[in-house]
Amino acid sequence: MTSATKPVSAKSASVTRLGKHQARMGYLFIMPTMLLFAVFMVIPVGMALYLSFTNYDVLSSNDWVGMDNYRRLFGDDLYWKTFVNVMIYAVVFVPLNVLISLLLAILLNRAARGVKALRTFYYLPTLTSAVAAATVWIWMLHPEYGLVNGILSLFGITGPAWVSQTDTAMLSIIMMTLWQSVGSNMIIYLAGLQGVPDYLYESARLDGASKFDCLRYITWPQLRPTTFLVSTMSIIGALQLFDQAFVLTQGGPANATKTPVYLIYQQGFNQLQMGYASSQAFVLAMAILVFSLISMKINKSEESIV
Amino acid sequence: MKKQWKIVWSMIVVIGLLAGCSGGSGGSSGGEASGGKTVLTFWGDWGGEGQEQIQTMVDAFNKSQDKIEVKYALQQDVVTKFLTAATNGGTPDVVFWDRWRTALYAPKNVLHPVDEYLERDGVNKEDFYEEALKELTYEDKLYGLPLTVDARALFYNKKMLEEAGLEPPTNWDELEAAAKATTKWNGTKLETAGLSMGDPGLFNMYLQQAGGTMLTSDNTMNVNNEKGKAVLDFWGRLLNEDKVYKIGFEDGLGEGTDAFVTGKVAMLYTGPWMLSTYDKYGKDLEYGIVPPPAGPNGDKGSVMGGFGLVIPQGSKHPEEAWEFIKWWTANKDNAVLWAKTSLNMPGFKPAFEDPFFADDPKWIPFMETLEFAKTRPTHPGYSVMEENAVIPNLELFMQNKQSAEETLRLSQEQGDKQLKENAVAR
Repeated sequence: MTSATKPVSAKSASVTRLGKHQARMGYLFIMPTMLLFAVFMVIPVGMALYLSFTNYDVLSSNDWVGMDNYRRLFGDDLYWKTFVNVMIYAVVFVPLNVLISLLLAILLNRAARGVKALRTFYYLPTLTSAVAAATVWIWMLHPEYGLVNGILSLFGITGPAWVSQTDTAMLSIIMMTLWQSVGSNMIIYLAGLQGVPDYLYESARLDGASKFDCLRYITWPQLRPTTFLVSTMSIIGALQLFDQAFVLTQGGPANATKTPVYLIYQQGFNQLQMGYASSQAFVLAMAILVFSLISMKINKSEESIV
Repeated sequence: MKKQWKIVWSMIVVIGLLAGCSGGSGGSSGGEASGGKTVLTFWGDWGGEGQEQIQTMVDAFNKSQDKIEVKYALQQDVVTKFLTAATNGGTPDVVFWDRWRTALYAPKNVLHPVDEYLERDGVNKEDFYEEALKELTYEDKLYGLPLTVDARALFYNKKMLEEAGLEPPTNWDELEAAAKATTKWNGTKLETAGLSMGDPGLFNMYLQQAGGTMLTSDNTMNVNNEKGKAVLDFWGRLLNEDKVYKIGFEDGLGEGTDAFVTGKVAMLYTGPWMLSTYDKYGKDLEYGIVPPPAGPNGDKGSVMGGFGLVIPQGSKHPEEAWEFIKWWTANKDNAVLWAKTSLNMPGFKPAFEDPFFADDPKWIPFMETLEFAKTRPTHPGYSVMEENAVIPNLELFMQNKQSAEETLRLSQEQGDKQLKENAVAR
C-alpha cells in the first residue's frame, strides 16, 4: 500500500466537491423521468388510496365512507374466487414459463446456422396483440374444428371444449399466455447464458460430468439472478392477468377465469363504483407485494457463485 | 462548464416543448360555425358500415334545414369518453346510446330529461314502443327517444326442417321435436346442432316463456321457483337426453364461418342485427323466421333491446339537440329512411305501416315479437347480476356440474346480493 501523496483531508475535500457536482448533475438528468413517474404513477396511486375510502363514482358522489368498501370486500365471495383463479394460474404458469424459456434459451444458445431466425420466430408471439392472438387461439381451440383437438384426435383422444368447459378454460389461457411470453423470457435467459464462463464447463467436462450434470450443477446455479428476475416478473404479471381473460373467455365459464383485475375493471368502469374498485385494487397490490417479497426471500438465500 | 450548461438548458427546453404539445386533443363541445349555424357534436361507437349508415342520416338532417349542423364523431369507447367528458367538460350534444345504460347513468344526473320538449312539440308517446320508453325512464322522467328496437326471434334452416318433415315450431314441445330431428351426430363428433344453446343469457327469454320474470316488482330475484325449474328441466332434457347441442360448439365462429350460415346449427334465437350477415355470407342458406315459441302454458316471451338518442346534461345546445333527435326518431319518413339504410327496426311505431316493412315477410315475425317483447328491468345492477351471479351458475348447470335446484338457489342468493350492492344512491 503506497501512502497518499496529498494530505487526506484536501483530497477528500476536492473529491467531495466533484462528487457533489456530479450528484447534482445526476439528479438533474433523472428529473424528467422522476417527474413523469411522480405525476403518472405516484400521485394516482395516492389518489386511489384516498378514493378507496370513498364512494366515488366519477359522476356524482364523492363522500367519505371509511372502511365500508373494505368491509364489503371481505364478504365479496366473487373477489376471493378471482384470487383463487389467479393463484391457480400463477402456480401453473410461472414454473412452466421459467422452464420452457430456459430450455429454449439453452437450445438456441449456439452459433449454428438459422439460430438467429429461430430466435426471432420464438420472440414474435410477444409482439402480437392479445385480441389478435385470442381470435386465432379461439379458432385453434374449437372443440370440433380446431387444430388442437385435430392433433389430439390423431392419437385417438377426443379433446374437450377448451374454452367453454370450466375445467379447461384456465388451461386454455395458460397455453395462450405461455405462447406469448416464453419468447421474451428466452431472450433474457440467452443474455444470462452468455454470462456463464466457459472455463466452468471445460473443467467440469474434464472431470467427466455429463451434459445433464453440467446443466444441473453449472448452468442452473449460474443463472440464479436471471431466474430471480424472470420468476418475479412472471409472478407480478400473472397476478395482474387481464387481457387474455378478457378477450379469450370473458371471465367465464362460470367465473372460472375471472381475475381480480377483470373484476376491478367491471366494478369501476361498468358499474361506476370507483371507490370500491380502488379498494379492490389496493388489496391486489398488497397481495402482489407480499408474493414478490416471498419470491425474493426464496431466491435471495441462494446468491450466484462466480 | 459552459458546454454542460448548454446541454442542460437545451434539455429543459425540449422537455418543456414536449409537455406543452401533449395537451388536449379531440372532443370539444359544439360551438358556432361560420354563418351562424349551431354545430352539434354527436358521439357514437358504430364504425365501419355503421358509421356510413349514421352519416347518411346526419347528412340528410343537415341538408333538410340550415340552422343546425350535426357532426358525427366516432368514439371507440363511447362510455369511457362520456365519463371523462361528464366530469371535465367537452360533453357532446347527442349520444347514440344503448338504452339499458340509462338505469345506471340517469340517477347520476348526467342526462337531460326531454319531457318538456315532448309536451311542447306535441310528440305522442303512444307512437313509441312502451317498453322502449320505459327503458329510457327513471323516476318518471324520460331521458331520450328510442331510435332502434330489436327482439330475438327463432331463425330456422328451411331445408333441414323440410327434410325432417316438420313445420316451424310454435311451442316448446314442437321446438324440442324439431331440434331432435335436425341434430346429426357422427360418433362423438357433432355435425349439426338442432338448436343453439350457446348463450345462457337467453334465460330471461325462456323464463318469460315459462310465465315468469327475472325480478319481482320490487326488484328482487325471482328465479328460484317452479318457472325457473321448468326452464332448467327443459334445457337439461335438450342437452343431456336429446343431445341437440354441445357446449362450445359455436366458439369462435362468426361472420363468414357463422354456425347458422354454414349449416352447422339448424335453429337459433337471434335478432335483426344478423340479417345482413346471413344475407351476405349465406349464399346457400335458406332461412325462415318465426316469433319465439310459446312456453308450456302458452306464455310468450322475448327480450327487447335497442338504441336511443340522449342529450347529456352538460350540452350547451339542448334545444337544437332535441330538434335533431325529434327529426330522426319521431318522423315517419326519416325513421323509414333509417330502417332502409341500416336494416334496423325503428322505435317509431307508425313507420311500420310503410310498405318497406308491411310488404317484406322478413319483418313480420319481428313485428309480432315486438308486441310482447319486454325490456330488461331498469335496475342499475341488472347486467352485473346476470353476468356475475346468474350466468356462471347456469354455465355450471349446463356442464352438469350443478343440479337445477342448486343452480336456482345460488342464482337467487348471489343475484340478490349483486342487486343490493349495485342499487341506486348509496
